[in-house]
Amino acid sequence: MIGVISYLVFFATTASILAIAVLGLNLQWGNTGLFNGGVVAFFGAGAYGTLILGGTPQAGHLGGFELIYPLALLGGMVLAGAMAWIVGLLTLRLRHDYLAIATFGVAVAFENLMRNAEWLAGGAKGVRGFERPLRDALGDGFTYNLVFFAGVLCVLICVYFFLERLVASPFGRLLRAIREDEEAAQSLGKSPARVRLTAFVTGSVILGLAGGLYGTFYAFVSPQDVLPTLTFQIWAMLIVGGAGNNRGAILGAFLIWGAWTASGWALSRFAPVEAQLYTGSVQFVLIGAVIVGMLLWRPQGLFPERLVVSQTGITPQKEQGA
Amino acid sequence: MPNLKLMLAGLGTALVLSTLGSAAAAQDCTTKIGAVLPTSVDWGRPIAETAQFAVDQVNAAGGAAGCEIEMVLRDTQVDPKVGVDAAKALVDLEGVNVLLGAVSSGVSMPILTSVTVPGGVLQMSCCSSSTAFTGLAEEGKTEGLWFRTFATTGVQSAVGAKVAQDKGFGSVAILYKNDDWGQDMARLIAADFAAVGVDVTASVAINDAQPSYRAEVTEALSTQPEALYLALYPAEGTAAVREWISLGGTQNMILANSLKSDEFRDNVGMQYLGNALGTDTASPRSESADAFVAAYQERFDAEPNGPGLANSYDAAMIALLAMEAAGEGASGAGVAAAISRVTDPAGTPVSADTAGFEAAKEVLAGGGTVMYQGATGNVRFDANGDVSAPAVVWSFTDSGTEEVEYISLEDVDAFIASLN
Repeated sequence: MIGVISYLVFFATTASILAIAVLGLNLQWGNTGLFNGGVVAFFGAGAYGTLILGGTPQAGHLGGFELIYPLALLGGMVLAGAMAWIVGLLTLRLRHDYLAIATFGVAVAFENLMRNAEWLAGGAKGVRGFERPLRDALGDGFTYNLVFFAGVLCVLICVYFFLERLVASPFGRLLRAIREDEEAAQSLGKSPARVRLTAFVTGSVILGLAGGLYGTFYAFVSPQDVLPTLTFQIWAMLIVGGAGNNRGAILGAFLIWGAWTASGWALSRFAPVEAQLYTGSVQFVLIGAVIVGMLLWRPQGLFPERLVVSQTGITPQKEQGA
Repeated sequence: MPNLKLMLAGLGTALVLSTLGSAAAAQDCTTKIGAVLPTSVDWGRPIAETAQFAVDQVNAAGGAAGCEIEMVLRDTQVDPKVGVDAAKALVDLEGVNVLLGAVSSGVSMPILTSVTVPGGVLQMSCCSSSTAFTGLAEEGKTEGLWFRTFATTGVQSAVGAKVAQDKGFGSVAILYKNDDWGQDMARLIAADFAAVGVDVTASVAINDAQPSYRAEVTEALSTQPEALYLALYPAEGTAAVREWISLGGTQNMILANSLKSDEFRDNVGMQYLGNALGTDTASPRSESADAFVAAYQERFDAEPNGPGLANSYDAAMIALLAMEAAGEGASGAGVAAAISRVTDPAGTPVSADTAGFEAAKEVLAGGGTVMYQGATGNVRFDANGDVSAPAVVWSFTDSGTEEVEYISLEDVDAFIASLN
């Protein structure tokens, strides 16, 4: 029984970290309509930044600043934000699929930089030697995982409420206005370029926060953690959950990650030994089928966006009638 | 989504029911061990099959520590998140205290730091080669729970340099796989070449799955080396060597053990590989290695060629021997501590098959120690869980590979010492 609880805590920690990342993407895509195809670059910047700033000295590459943990995590977020700012300045004039391709290229470049620049982050060997915070006080076992999960959950809840407030605010309306019709927003005296950049950087900082927590949880990050698969996974979570809805984003993260791990578990548990060798391939087919089915029959996601009419007094019917 | 899970559960139940009848219970109890391997990757599946093969042989000998062994296999998809989650599920839900895997260092490392060391579980990898593990072990952070049967990085680069020296090559260009293994390999071999006075003209990284390697190959070719060193996997190796030869590059090639594959030989063509010499850690001069090859051929109808197969077999076998030595109900740390009892150079030699496992059982029951003579040699771990091994120089033949030269463990150690 304790084993099941221990695993569930572990699972929920990973899922919550991914949910934070999905929330970050939701701000960019769901609310602002920015097609970020390079999710993993900002996630990775957060992870690498946190581990390099907070880790112990390692021979052969940058790092070992041994900052206290909150500062290291903040550093990772700042790094992700700074990268997003530069990338955003260069690419946000692009629209839709062009932006997707440009950001995807940034992510691939990021992975290759990390893989090849050994002096920077250890190359393919990755960054290790990170002491998880409070490890001395809590040990390494179940208690630690439980406390860490509680911490991650708090962060997830904070990010959720922050984003709920943000999208309900006038700024949130502005984001949706730009998403729906940029020229109309411009005609009202708004500056779409600046707002898009703000949303892109904010979303990327949240992605960086998720990356920092991810690196902390594993006390390790390598170029294998920043492959395009992760971008795909996070997008799948948002699409299934419902773009534009923060609750949907969180639900999507738990569902997709749950399906991803549960299908692997079920196949290894119930399939005969000979078939077990093919579980990996079967799993890809199953997950792919879920996403295709979702797009075919419920493209708005499980929790569709709730559009709110913020001006009370004039009902939609009246508007139509006029 | 609930439908999917229901479907899976239903499918699973049906499968279980259909297999229950055929599973004959040799023992009253079953001990589970975990395996996290990249079964969804082409070269990963044979590694898992070979591990299962070792488990089957042990079960034929009546299991380990009084129980039948069941290997629960999970796919890593070469994704660290997925691998770590699978490992955690195996430890928490299946209750394993011995974990085989993973292959990629980038997956093995987070499993080690966040699952097996905190959980006190023995982790035995067939194939993770990163030097980062040695560093971690030296800092005492693996708590003696980490072992790997992949000896080849240091040994192989030294033997590669020896081949270049023996053949009298004055200059060599290096093409290496751009991952942790390839980068380590390129760095080590460059240093070893320099130590024996061979000039390294170029060292070029080869990224996976590119449509063409013309740029990389041209860069290496323009330095006009007398020979080419390849630390690549079969798919990229084939593509790079084809371009190399079609552009008129030398056929003097030195190959890392990862290219010891029929696929590579067939796709490049035997007529171009006459001057290619490979290096590998060697089988011991004993019957056990032959027994492994024979048993493997009988089971899979092919020679055990392919990256990591012999290493995977030894990883599973040593873990199971250690479980036997540690006895029933031993913890992960207990099994880890028992590994020295089954890889003792002064112990009774046992072969790598069912008969060998039976022999080992008797010796261990009498309180003795055994020396496991495995598919990769007389495996012996150092304090960091790393292995050294004898080496072999091989070349391709029409039906597989043949041995050109055998270099004993003493000679390997002496040669490595002479390089420093």
